[in-house]
Amino acid sequence: MPNAGHVGRRYAAPGQVVDPERARAMARAIAGPDAPFEPEAVPPTYAAVYCLAPAFAQLFTDEEVGINLAGLIHGEQAFEWPARVRPGDTVDASAEIISVEDKRGMTFVTLAVEAVRPADGAVVCKGRSMMIVRGGGA
Amino acid sequence: MSTAAGSAVKVGDELEPLTRVVSQEQINAYAEASGDFNPIHVDEEFARSVGLPGTIAHGLLELGILAEAVARWAGTSDALLALECRFSKPLRAGDAITCTGRVAAVDDAEGVATLDVEATSDRGERVLTNGRARVRLSR
Repeated sequence: MPNAGHVGRRYAAPGQVVDPERARAMARAIAGPDAPFEPEAVPPTYAAVYCLAPAFAQLFTDEEVGINLAGLIHGEQAFEWPARVRPGDTVDASAEIISVEDKRGMTFVTLAVEAVRPADGAVVCKGRSMMIVRGGGA
Repeated sequence: MSTAAGSAVKVGDELEPLTRVVSQEQINAYAEASGDFNPIHVDEEFARSVGLPGTIAHGLLELGILAEAVARWAGTSDALLALECRFSKPLRAGDAITCTGRVAAVDDAEGVATLDVEATSDRGERVLTNGRARVRLSR
């Protein structure tokens, strides 16, 4: 189970390519039955793919932290987009565990995430993800 | 249309509410696009086995719809500088989500509006709470 001793652990996922086709697929998925608002743009929350997913994949396989995926809930999410990512961009994603707290029999793990476009050094996404791990002490 | 583009934005201005029925097909499409195939979103039996009433939408799909509501008001998603929320209640497959928001502050010097935003389901549950967006205003 995650504990306060894991604060400061960092995960790096360089070389994430913003695939235009997949970004369009997400725009359609967000629109559902409606027409996509901006079918050719990268939806802001596509950061889930180029920033959160690659960093989280490393966290979830970090055996020392040992997160139980079956009990995992996304509790809160904050995003900032200081610069806008474009289709075809390559970005370097990273994450750091910034807090682990036990409350009401659950464990709250908060990560700071970031994605930087090395071509110009622009930060295209900064964020904070709070994950709730249920069923501690298995 | 109440868009931020080219008009004087003031505290109290409201977003055009955006309502969308989120079907299982839409959740599946989002799983495909995002790569998040957690079975609580796509496997009815599994979802029930962990105490959920059925499959639920990805929180980030709901946040994507909320982002769209803000972007429509702003005129473009390029104007969306920041967005955050708490995933307070799950949104069940087949339920409608309605995203709303209201301008809480305008910084004329920076050209940025801050909005309080949230989303409710057609069950009357507040699914996204503590929401806040920052939008660059066109001038």
